[in-house]
Amino acid sequence: MAEQRLVVLQGADERDLTKLAEYRAIGGYDALAKARALTPQAVIDELLASNLRGRGGAFFATGRKWSFIPKPDQNPNPHYLVVNADESEPGSFKDNEILSRVPHRFIEGCLITAHAVESKHVFVYIRGEYLGPFEAVRDALEEIREDDQLLGGVTIVVHRGAGAYICGEETALLESLEGKRGQPRSKPPFPAISGLYASPTVVNNVETLATVPPIVAMGGAAYAKLGVESSTGTRVVSLSGNLVRGGNYEVAHGITLRELIYDLGGGVPDGRELKAVIPGGSSTVILTAEEIDVPYDYDALAEVGTAMGSAGVIAIDDRCCMVQLGIRVSEFYEHESCGKCTPCREGTRWMTAILRKLEAGEASDSELDLLLDVCDRINGKCLCPLGETAAMAVASYVLKFRDEFLAHLDGGCPFGSQSPLDGVVAPVNQHTQSPVAEVPA
Amino acid sequence: MSAPENVTLTIDGRVVEVPKGTGLVETAAVAGIEIPVFCYEPRLGPPVGACRMCLVEVEGIPKLQAGCTLTAQEGMVVGTGATSEKAAEGQNATLEFILVNHPLDCPVCDKGGECPLQDLTFRYGPGQTRMTFPKRTLDKPIPISPTIALDRERCILCYRCTRFSESVAEDGQLVARNRGSMSMIATFEDEPYRDLFSGNVIELCPVGALTSTQYRFEARPWEIQNVPTICGLCPVGCNISATTREGKVKRILSRNHPEVDQGWLCDKGRFAYPHLYAEDRIATPLERVRRRGFGEISWDDGLDRAEALLRGAGGRIVTALSGSETIEEAYALGRLLRVGLGAHSAVLPEATSSALDAFRAPLSSIGHAEVVVVIGEERVADRAPIVGLWIKQARRNGGDVVELAEPKLDAELEQRLRSSDRAVLIWSGRAGGGGARLAELAHSLGFDGKPGCSAFHLPATPNGRGVAEAWAAAADRDEANPEPIGLLIVSGDEAAADPAVRALAEKAEHVLAITMYHGLAVGWADLVLPATSYLERDGSFVNLEGRVQRLRRSVIPPVPDELGWISKLAARFGVEISPHASLVFAELAETVYGGEASFGDVGERAPLPARAAYEPPEPRPVAPIPPPAAAPAEHFLGTLRLLRYRPLFSGPTVERVPELRFQRPAAEVELAAADAERRQIRNGDSVTVRSESILTLRARIDRRLPPGVARIAEEHARDLGTTVEVSRSSNPFTSAGGERA
Ligand SMILES: Cc1cc2nc3c(=O)[nH]c(=O)nc-3n(C[C@H](O)[C@H](O)[C@H](O)COP(=O)(O)O)c2cc1C
Ligand code: SF4
Ligand code: SF4
Ligand code: SF4
Ligand code: FES
Repeated sequence: MAEQRLVVLQGADERDLTKLAEYRAIGGYDALAKARALTPQAVIDELLASNLRGRGGAFFATGRKWSFIPKPDQNPNPHYLVVNADESEPGSFKDNEILSRVPHRFIEGCLITAHAVESKHVFVYIRGEYLGPFEAVRDALEEIREDDQLLGGVTIVVHRGAGAYICGEETALLESLEGKRGQPRSKPPFPAISGLYASPTVVNNVETLATVPPIVAMGGAAYAKLGVESSTGTRVVSLSGNLVRGGNYEVAHGITLRELIYDLGGGVPDGRELKAVIPGGSSTVILTAEEIDVPYDYDALAEVGTAMGSAGVIAIDDRCCMVQLGIRVSEFYEHESCGKCTPCREGTRWMTAILRKLEAGEASDSELDLLLDVCDRINGKCLCPLGETAAMAVASYVLKFRDEFLAHLDGGCPFGSQSPLDGVVAPVNQHTQSPVAEVPA
Repeated sequence: MSAPENVTLTIDGRVVEVPKGTGLVETAAVAGIEIPVFCYEPRLGPPVGACRMCLVEVEGIPKLQAGCTLTAQEGMVVGTGATSEKAAEGQNATLEFILVNHPLDCPVCDKGGECPLQDLTFRYGPGQTRMTFPKRTLDKPIPISPTIALDRERCILCYRCTRFSESVAEDGQLVARNRGSMSMIATFEDEPYRDLFSGNVIELCPVGALTSTQYRFEARPWEIQNVPTICGLCPVGCNISATTREGKVKRILSRNHPEVDQGWLCDKGRFAYPHLYAEDRIATPLERVRRRGFGEISWDDGLDRAEALLRGAGGRIVTALSGSETIEEAYALGRLLRVGLGAHSAVLPEATSSALDAFRAPLSSIGHAEVVVVIGEERVADRAPIVGLWIKQARRNGGDVVELAEPKLDAELEQRLRSSDRAVLIWSGRAGGGGARLAELAHSLGFDGKPGCSAFHLPATPNGRGVAEAWAAAADRDEANPEPIGLLIVSGDEAAADPAVRALAEKAEHVLAITMYHGLAVGWADLVLPATSYLERDGSFVNLEGRVQRLRRSVIPPVPDELGWISKLAARFGVEISPHASLVFAELAETVYGGEASFGDVGERAPLPARAAYEPPEPRPVAPIPPPAAAPAEHFLGTLRLLRYRPLFSGPTVERVPELRFQRPAAEVELAAADAERRQIRNGDSVTVRSESILTLRARIDRRLPPGVARIAEEHARDLGTTVEVSRSSNPFTSAGGERA
């Protein structure tokens, strides 16, 4: 099955859609005009009909999320639309390409959504390291800055993050946007009721919003015909890892993982064997090479115990040491844990310590069980999904590749230094200053 | 307000009914069930769900829930660790994770023995560790202020301290730095934690991470006694526990009176207790001896000399009261002097009045006010710090706070106050007639008939009103001002430190001083009788709400207490007065409190008497001290009115506590922005302040100050007159009169 740039990236291969004129030439911003001719509720209905579900990871139905926003007469506070462009999940880089290549479609999606939820204020929280995408959005905004009619009284503020994965979690993002320490809030209240500055707020992912104009243009029902029933429409999938052709591919839901990896990604290079696939970014449960005939849709992946997450597919070949993969992933989460809740803050550090001992060949099999138990004790106890997904992901490496872990118990890593992950570590020594106040005697 | 709807739910099989919306932790407590917590603390705002100690299982929800974030809902079925295996496992996991990097240095930790982490580990935690890796180690303890030390290894990151700093004190000085397992508590920009409420974080901290430098290694919980008493340092009268060990006060803790202090203390009340052990504390009566200064004499001789001084004055006696005497002591003194000697004349630093009893409400009512009007030029925090916290709470709850220098309301504000059901007036300045002026204002706004509307006067002394009423109750005669003064009796340290009292002493033939400290007695007293502190006395205070609260003797003072020797002295003049506070109170209550209050009722958490009917304010029972002869009030063009103020951290008690030195005001003059600009003065500039005398101070521009005034702390204003000229110091090398510590 071939790639289908039908919706989000549609037209981007043929034209330079970063330019307003080019985007207009393919009917850009027509959907906005169409939406504005409708009542907000009618736009929400269109989204409900499309059954679009959030592309940020939680896969929550977008139309339903919008409909939770109280009407202005129910809550006098301003409404906010906050765009989650913090994309930091290892394996995921789709929003980068969407912002860089179709910034106007994204902005149009923001404006339509602002109309639907009756908001005049849009905040785009963009990952700090995403300089290119930031510039693309900024330049696109610059092109429409003077166009009052297009903007319709809506202000769009682009805020650059400061390098924290947790600020992609919607409530931590809101805290950070308010100038506070980026840590998740306890929910409820959900952002729709009390979000940014305690006001009704919609938080949506970049891809979700870039999908909105095509939906309005083609109609929700037409969109719902794409993909499969539980997962309508298309998805921009990031392929990476040991593949011949990594990159972003927009596909209709329902394509199998095998097709993604072999047909689009070109399979594993250098005559190697595929060993495992991480299907939805580093926080998802790993699949073995035998499990990849699963269709890439929400329900099918849930059935095999994993998730589509942020659609970052990472292929892992037979040279990779799974213990090292565990260290790499565990270190990432240890490093990115915000430090608010106990199980994640302390547990991820402990996980890394045990994995390191395993890698060095100094662990006993009781410590392998301890690792699983620590994961189990983190899972289901945290304030936000970061800690829990870290624990589930790492536990899945042990459960599905136990023999490889056992092989480490005497003598250390059987791959020697041949694993491409050897020596690759997260920069965990950042964030370790221990400041001392100067206090008068 | 309509009565809240009740809901019925089941916790661990027990059915419990509570008002809808009650927190689950409180609901469980109603059913006699513990949901253990670390981070949960409703006084700090909405729950944050950080520590995960409170995990419970809720029927219908697959994942364990943080109990502290839930509220009671109809039909909810909850299992705590006691009945739900899953919840017990969750709590055990949380404790295991907390302990993974905890130093467990309990044997040398001040918290040991009264530590929630020890207690909850014992009840819910694992008995042994599975952690075989080196623990995270950090420098410890590090000071974050002269009074507070931080041990980051012990910190369990419950964020109570930072939440207090951000959402109660609103100082924003305590922050979390770094991320993940390297998260740590720090001060903003590594400046010392300098806030008048900083010490509360010590009590909030559920482990030994934030400890008091004063209490460090001083005692263990099983060898201490906590004496329930009240703080005597300002007119709020926060309820406190004085921790004592072997007859010495070792620390002050809050005792949460929800209507008065909500469990917060200011740093003065918390950290000033070492004044008991000041080097210059007087242990025996002292007599002036020519050339040698003072000579120590016995108590018998001391009372003989006192008797001689009293008799010698022939009734021409003036008593300068501090307003920090207990009402029992003031009454006894009044009986002795007024009945025994016909000496009716007494002064207090400020006028007092009971007129506001008609607009009485608990201080906590400020927190829910929709509009709070603060009138006067003194900072609320300098007069009654806790009131400042209640005002902040009102603002956080959406109330409006209006600050006025003068009691002049514009039509809009007046209308608002008239129509509001939750309006509060607060007088924070001089010349308020002890509340009489505010009572008139409240009456004119129709507050009489509105129980939700109240008015508070912030007096300059902790118990001035109680003292004045007790003095008035001691005899039924009007006062006469003796001329010349034969004997000035200086009662208490604040009076002894007051320049106005000193000025009065110059007109007196003899001076008898009752004070704790040598430094306050030298140079002017003929006889000094040692005084005791509020921590050493039994008796009662009347706070600014009009609430009679009881002081309990926490430790035996090194000298007989005032009531004891006044009783003996009174007997020599044929006046019978009990040396026991309870009996004096009973006598006094008869006249002053209509026989209603008993010493027992005042008890541990004193109730607030009901509102009185409004009566136009009466003339005050005890005169205020006449101010010292003021400089001629010439208003040259360009002069500023000197606004002298007495900062919270000042006075004889605070001066004797080295740890509080850094909280004392800098040698600064505060100027309104417009006045500073006209004089080309910038923030931090060294400036010359000139009246009869000249001072060099540092300028600070305060945007909230009205133009036309120069605000200087009393201790730095020295003998400046009432109007001053302020200009940039011509010599840029002149350093300011004092450095910020
Ligand atoms: C640890 C963590 C990181 C996340 N990072 C992102 C992110 O980078 N981008 C994103 O869109 N959503 C991210 N999410 C999901 C958001 O919380 C939220 O569900 C999403 O922005 C909602 O948008 P959607 O409904 O359009 O998917 C993250 C969630 C968690 C728990
Ligand atoms: S799970 Fe981790 S990232 Fe999420 S709140 Fe807890 S500590 Fe922070
Ligand atoms: S220092 Fe104490 S109060 Fe502050 S976060 Fe740590 S444990 Fe909590
Ligand atoms: S506010 Fe007043 S009563 Fe309370 S602790 Fe401070 S000085 Fe004492
Ligand atoms: S007490 Fe509930 S999470 Fe801390």
